[in-house]
Amino acid sequence: MDDLRRSRLTVFFRFLLCFPHLIWIYLWGALVGIVFILNWLVALVIGRPAKPFQRFNAAFLRYTTTVIAYLFLIANPFPGFAGEPGSYPIELEVPTTPEKQNRLKTFFRLLLIYPALLVAGALLYVTYFVTFLAWWAAMITGRMPRGFRDLGANAIRYIQQCYAYFLLVTGSYPCASPYVGMELGTLVVEAPTAAAEAPAVAEAPVEPEAPEAPSET
Amino acid sequence: MSKSSRRLLGLLIFGALAAVWFYIAYRLWQTSVPDDLKQPSVDMSTLVSSSELNRAKHFSLVLDLFGLAGIFLPLLVLGLYAKWGHRFMRESAAGPIGTGMLLAMLGIAILWIAMLPSGLGALWWLRRYGIEKTGYADLVIGTWSVLGFEFLGICLTILIVMGFARLLGNNWWLAGAPVFVGIAILVTFVQPYGFGHPLVGHATLVQAEKRLAQKEGVKAVPLREIDVSATTTAPNAVAMGLGPSRRIGLFDTILDGRFSEPELESVVAHELAHHKHNDLWKGIGWYALFAFPIAFVIAQLTKRRGGMMVPLAVPLFLFAYVAIPTVLLPIDNAFSRRLEAEADWTALQATNDPQAAKALFVNFVQTTNQDPNPPFWDPILFGTHPTDQQRIAMVEAWQARNGG
Repeated sequence: MDDLRRSRLTVFFRFLLCFPHLIWIYLWGALVGIVFILNWLVALVIGRPAKPFQRFNAAFLRYTTTVIAYLFLIANPFPGFAGEPGSYPIELEVPTTPEKQNRLKTFFRLLLIYPALLVAGALLYVTYFVTFLAWWAAMITGRMPRGFRDLGANAIRYIQQCYAYFLLVTGSYPCASPYVGMELGTLVVEAPTAAAEAPAVAEAPVEPEAPEAPSET
Repeated sequence: MSKSSRRLLGLLIFGALAAVWFYIAYRLWQTSVPDDLKQPSVDMSTLVSSSELNRAKHFSLVLDLFGLAGIFLPLLVLGLYAKWGHRFMRESAAGPIGTGMLLAMLGIAILWIAMLPSGLGALWWLRRYGIEKTGYADLVIGTWSVLGFEFLGICLTILIVMGFARLLGNNWWLAGAPVFVGIAILVTFVQPYGFGHPLVGHATLVQAEKRLAQKEGVKAVPLREIDVSATTTAPNAVAMGLGPSRRIGLFDTILDGRFSEPELESVVAHELAHHKHNDLWKGIGWYALFAFPIAFVIAQLTKRRGGMMVPLAVPLFLFAYVAIPTVLLPIDNAFSRRLEAEADWTALQATNDPQAAKALFVNFVQTTNQDPNPPFWDPILFGTHPTDQQRIAMVEAWQARNGG
């Protein structure tokens, strides 16, 4: 649970403390790149991603979510390296079993993701700015302002949705609205006191009538 | 097997290992400098003006105080961290190894903060004497950036140690020490590729190096120029690499015209001598010799915190990891001084130019402000090379033997 307390020491050195994680992301990411190509071919042939690739990519997305959250001061504890579910205050819910995906959308995935990536890029710059302000706030007060934390959490949510869509983990297009995703468990804005317990989710709320239940973390 | 037999067997094995250890140490300690070499006493005031000598004494004494802070402050800070550092475990959601990495990084980070004032003080002193040109902000930013690489280094160390500890328990040192020696070999091998650029505009020196290499009976190695003049005026040269990566690195501060061609040839002959005597391999051998007992001692010390299987032991590990090499510093420095003295001796044999060697060491005093005859404790703690006075004394001893 995130009580918004931030250790000044780890905040001061936050970027450097992420170095081992950034190296690990680089190495793991290289494998994800290879897996993406194989998975894309599999998805084109059988109409859904391969199960082992799905689990592999899902773990990578969960892991990168925790590292980004740590780097941007959205969470306080140092994340683990395995991307295990239920191990971090800010968590990404991703389907671990592959779902059927439209072959045409799969074929054009690289092009389809572009508009969402533009939004993600803009959100990323907002997050940089907010993190800069939050860094000073956390250094002075020892706490993360709730608004900054929630804004960052929503930005991460959208960015990771983009990657989940790109990596074929989900067939649902990313949705930037923090409100539409509420049914799926994205409660960081609406219910700030329980924000840390409510994970950001990767699944876009394209079909709100069939939402996933929010997990308790 | 009875308990007493097991104890006897253990003692025999330990005795055999100790004998092998001492034999290797003895072999590494030997140099080609004649054992019966009598070094004359040198009156530095006949070579360097009294004002230069006073300036060097004053400069070195204060610099030594900052150096002492650099040795003892880490022991104090990491000693306290060994006691209290485990409290930072609550800042981690990672597993044991990840938490261990965090604790190690935070220990190094706290040390960086604690060392910053003395680092800035030393920079102030070096700038005052025109040795350093780095700005204060550059130092802070520069060391902060380096800290990131130190974090990676300590994380790799923790990964190796805790990884083996989780596999082998408190016997991790048996597997860990060879891995660290392997890393030392790898780093020494690849290091030259990251430093310097080919030496241009010094054709005479390149020719001289080939001639000196032939005289020393060693293969000529590429000369590289290392650009440091933007940050320092201190002249230096280094022998780098192993096998095909062997190089001689000459700082551009030694090539800036303050040193004559014969003096530069003495420098190159000295660095070639390091390659001739395989000093980089000897250094790795020396490191390996101590890596096993140090790792063993650390494994025994950290047992009280549950061993290196758990992150609780990491702050104590960090303290021991710094404290034990600090205790061994005088022995390491003595070993280094022997290798350097041997390189000086071999360089004299190759150049057959004691006047150039003497002028070089006098020039070192004038350009670095290092005290040629420091207090007795200075070489023990800081002396990786013989003092300039000792180096000049060796030149005179060589002259006495060879009638130069």
